[in-house]
Amino acid sequence: MRISFEWLKTLVDVKGFSAQELASELVRTGTEVAAIEAEGQNFDHVVVGYVETCVDHPDSDHMHVTTVNVGAHNVDEDGNPTPLQIVCGAPNVAAGEKVLVATVGAVLPGDFKIKKAKLRGVESVGMICSARELGLGEDHNGIMVLPEDAPVGMAASEYLGTGDTVIDCEITPNRPDCLNMQGFAKEVAATLDSSLQAPGAGEKTIAEKIAEAGKTAAAQTEGAPCNFPKIQNETAPATETYASISFEESPNDEEPRCTRYVARVLTDIKIKESPEWLQKRIRAAGARPINNVVDITNYVMFLTGQPLHAFDLDKLLQLAQTKKANVVVSAATQGEKIVTLDGEERTLTPQNTLINVETNDGLLPVALAGVMGCENSEIDETSTRVFLESAVFAPSYTSRTSRDLDLISEASLRYERGVDATQSLEAADIACALFEEYADAKIAEKPLDLYPNPVESRCIELSVARVSDLAGAKIEKDFIASRLEKLGCKILGETEKEDARIVNASYLEGVGTGAASAPAYHTGLTSFLTVEVPACRPDLEREIDLVEEVIRLWGMENIAPTIPAARNHTGGYSTGQKRIHLIKDCLEGEGLSEKLSLNFSSGADLVLFGEKDENTVPVELLAPLSSDQSFMRQSLIPGLLQGVAYNLSHGTENVALYEQGRVFFAHKEIQQPQEPTYVSGVLSGQWKKDSWDEHPLPLDFFDAKGILEKLLATLRIAKYRFRPTDAERFSWIFPGRGAELQVNKKAVGWLGAIHPLTLQKFDIEKDVIAFELNQDELLTAAKSSVSFKPISPYPDIEVDLAFTVPEDTTYKTCVERLRSAGGKFLKDVRLFDIYRDEKRLGADRKSLAFALTFNGDDRTLTQEEVDTIMEHLIEKIGKSLNAEVRK
Amino acid sequence: MSAIENLEIIEKKTLDAISKKATLEELDQLRITVVGKKGSLTQILRSMGTLSAEERPLVGKRANEVREKIEAALLTKKEELAAKELSERIEASALDISLPGRSRPQGHAHVISQIVKEVEEIFIGLGYTVEDGPYVETEYYNFTSLNAPKDHPSRSPRDTFYVVDPTVAHPKEEIDTRKNIISDVLLRTQTSPVQMRTMEKQCPPIYMISPGLVFRPDTPDANHLPQFTQIEGLVIDKGITFGDLRGTLDHMTRALFGNDRRTRYRPHFFPFTEPSCEIDVSCGVCGGKGCRFCNHAGWLEILGAGLVDPNVLQNAGIDPNVYSGFAFGMGAERIAALRYNLPDLRLLTTGDMRFLEQF
Repeated sequence: MRISFEWLKTLVDVKGFSAQELASELVRTGTEVAAIEAEGQNFDHVVVGYVETCVDHPDSDHMHVTTVNVGAHNVDEDGNPTPLQIVCGAPNVAAGEKVLVATVGAVLPGDFKIKKAKLRGVESVGMICSARELGLGEDHNGIMVLPEDAPVGMAASEYLGTGDTVIDCEITPNRPDCLNMQGFAKEVAATLDSSLQAPGAGEKTIAEKIAEAGKTAAAQTEGAPCNFPKIQNETAPATETYASISFEESPNDEEPRCTRYVARVLTDIKIKESPEWLQKRIRAAGARPINNVVDITNYVMFLTGQPLHAFDLDKLLQLAQTKKANVVVSAATQGEKIVTLDGEERTLTPQNTLINVETNDGLLPVALAGVMGCENSEIDETSTRVFLESAVFAPSYTSRTSRDLDLISEASLRYERGVDATQSLEAADIACALFEEYADAKIAEKPLDLYPNPVESRCIELSVARVSDLAGAKIEKDFIASRLEKLGCKILGETEKEDARIVNASYLEGVGTGAASAPAYHTGLTSFLTVEVPACRPDLEREIDLVEEVIRLWGMENIAPTIPAARNHTGGYSTGQKRIHLIKDCLEGEGLSEKLSLNFSSGADLVLFGEKDENTVPVELLAPLSSDQSFMRQSLIPGLLQGVAYNLSHGTENVALYEQGRVFFAHKEIQQPQEPTYVSGVLSGQWKKDSWDEHPLPLDFFDAKGILEKLLATLRIAKYRFRPTDAERFSWIFPGRGAELQVNKKAVGWLGAIHPLTLQKFDIEKDVIAFELNQDELLTAAKSSVSFKPISPYPDIEVDLAFTVPEDTTYKTCVERLRSAGGKFLKDVRLFDIYRDEKRLGADRKSLAFALTFNGDDRTLTQEEVDTIMEHLIEKIGKSLNAEVRK
Repeated sequence: MSAIENLEIIEKKTLDAISKKATLEELDQLRITVVGKKGSLTQILRSMGTLSAEERPLVGKRANEVREKIEAALLTKKEELAAKELSERIEASALDISLPGRSRPQGHAHVISQIVKEVEEIFIGLGYTVEDGPYVETEYYNFTSLNAPKDHPSRSPRDTFYVVDPTVAHPKEEIDTRKNIISDVLLRTQTSPVQMRTMEKQCPPIYMISPGLVFRPDTPDANHLPQFTQIEGLVIDKGITFGDLRGTLDHMTRALFGNDRRTRYRPHFFPFTEPSCEIDVSCGVCGGKGCRFCNHAGWLEILGAGLVDPNVLQNAGIDPNVYSGFAFGMGAERIAALRYNLPDLRLLTTGDMRFLEQF
């Protein structure tokens, strides 16, 4: 809502606040101010001047060379005022005139910068201005000539006063009352604790105001009537002779489409330009002046919040082919087409409401109710009779119509939020009074007013102590009552009662003991106010709604900050949340940085990394932003691979990323999917670039495996194993380079080199190792408890053993066999070398070198004991592993 | 040669030799030849038994004198040589300490995670819990239970991602064209459903925050992502006031942005809370005077908040006549953008190592 500050001042006392000051008060009480626009001009460097001399320009037949005294704005070397030489082309310039001079440095509307110039060889220092050049009006026939008493050297802003200022407010959807000047004035009155200007204020009062406010206000309001003019005479025959109104209800309507329909008929209308003051006001409000009829309907809407629509009555009669227009409000039918004022053809549904005229062939639409009129009944230059609609249409239907047709108008905006039906007749009357004055209209007697269920007034009980108790500040009853009244509420009564809800007893009615040292104790009672709320405030329904009004007007910054005690409550991270942080710390400690990816997925990626599971379906978006974001992801790997590709293509070759995030698996019988959290990572390149003494190896499978082993240790998960991945199931893994992780015999994820064909789809040409684990499963398996094992005081004995085994014997098998062959004193088995040599070992054998650690637990093992164990062990693995010990 | 003479010679020779030794090793060699097991002096001492009774005490006394003298000289020389060798070693092994150290790789938490954790820790310090809930929500939990009007624009597909309801069988062409499908399953647009779910399962007092991802159909650009991280909070207890909301959020703002930052509470409207407000923090660049960073306002909007609407409490089965509460919400991305002056939010999701490693 664009608020003209000058217009506002005619409606409410702003207590001498400037527009800027008012704006910050509005922000304080809850009206967002998007911008403050000073109308048109910037008067810096524009001053009152006196034309001392004026002679014809030697080289021009229309220009003059003048000297203009601008007082102290131009001084000579000694500091004495000296006139400026200015070349002026205006026909009316003459010596002895007082004028407005834009001196060097001034920036006039249109970003016109005043500089020293030479005009046909004559130096000119400044410009004598016309009204238009200063943005003060349209007059460009000559320069502005000021009255003789204008003080030379006075700044233009001081002399003229400031022009109108528009405060552009963003009104929250709960406040339809602030979408008009009248309602906004109440909000201002409540904010500033000031009074509305008397609604009946006549021209005289305004004239007085003009005298008080000075010249500028006069310029703004000159010729403006009072804000709420009355109809002088109803001289045309009764409205019912021209038209009738009816509502056609349809059985599917969830609420009445129209709650009130007021119609007035105006005849003998002269379409012309509307008066300057009215044009100014609607321009400030954001509308473009068109003609008096359209402008007046807009003006009344901006003033009262009641949208009006003017139909050309003769066109309605012509369309109806009758002598009297029977106007019908009805639902549109599915697929019905109309052409709106903007020339667009619109296809309708029963969600849209139409204004029709009844014809012999049925209903003929003439307007899309509450949104826009139709071309067929539009006012034009030839119109002489007007059917004026002042109606209230249902917010629900209007908002859907507006949304579905992508058609938002000033009217629809107001209907969507709720128009006050109690004011419809008054609004129509104000418009008629203006038509009478500015369109020479004759007004038909007796308006039509179809208002089947008048809005009933609403009363709310408000506990005074409750306001303070919720605010956390003592707010007095007088403040509450007076500010609510400023907002248009009426306090109908007051009773004292108990209010069991009050927690802070100091807000209850106090009883003084008389002694200064003794605290007052309360009566247990508080005042309840019976508050009648105005019909223009649909947001005030409950006590809490009034509490809100009081708190915002009291000032949220006036409430002392406190921290709640949180008695009987404990907080902190849960065990699971702590472990989630452990996982992050572990992965970061291993050198992986965290990536966040969009949680969407393309269909292709679902297939690429999808494990076939017939019980689940992907989560599919109904209206994705792009086709590659049609689904919710089922793996974090695509996002991470995109990260690898991004880095590689931006010159970063070493990439180590992880992500903790959700994936989505829906089930056919359940609305909401399962959303397990996965933790996944990708590695490519080296841990770091080569340095002066380090040349890290390319990252491979075992780097990833090491990370997972560390992660499992961090979570104290001991029972796990890695199994080779099945090439078919894990089609995205390089065959033979993947492993599935099982924790407590349950599959929880995998790691492996990504298949080159998969990498191609992400435009990655480097090797990438990845892992993906179900974090929820890890958290379930994680343990916190640790059992202490005593440390043997007896020394370990370490024995190295190298042996060859067939190539396909795994490390895991060797360790298992060694452990079983080593007996209870074998404490640790560590592989420290793998050696292959076709000539010396044979093509299909490899040599493994282990360090075996023995400890006797409660004594020192003797060399003989260890020798015996080793002999036994070598014999056993010779059989179980087909191992040949290398000497 | 008499034993005494012998001793004199050994003493002179040995002391002379000690003074000439240049390394510890040479010195040790000398020590062995004189006072070692088979050393010359040791042999004299051992041969005492062969001397006459008169000679024995004289020779013995002298031999001990010589031994003490030699050992003292050896020790002095040893210390001298050790000191010399150490200083030579030190001289020889000086490092270019300006060379870079050998570092283990260290990854970085995402800046958004860091902010979330920071906020979590602030509230854990106040005794709050951290709650989470599903990303794929129902219209009831995301809107209806939170007092959002039935026709509220935020419910429209322009502002909310709806997903196919798997429990409803749609003809294939409907799925293919995705037209005329009405679903009440959606991607949550706020983390407030977590508040509702927490209220349903826990009895007051409730002190919780719910950080998490939310989704809105905004095409990615410098200032928008279709997914962002919201951090919401909820307190339900007896006697909770607007002052409590202020105290709590003032504390959070200072903890997050610094003690010198001021807050401003502007009344606003949200369906979920009443009264509602937006909260600004004074601009850290200009200190509130107004500059380009804050769009000359002096203030930066960071939070929406308010007292929980009684309808919402009622929907959760909590008696609004007994309990009151406050709720608030903010965006971690916005805090990151304000704190680090990020030029483009899309940086947050590319996984650019050069970006991630800065935080």
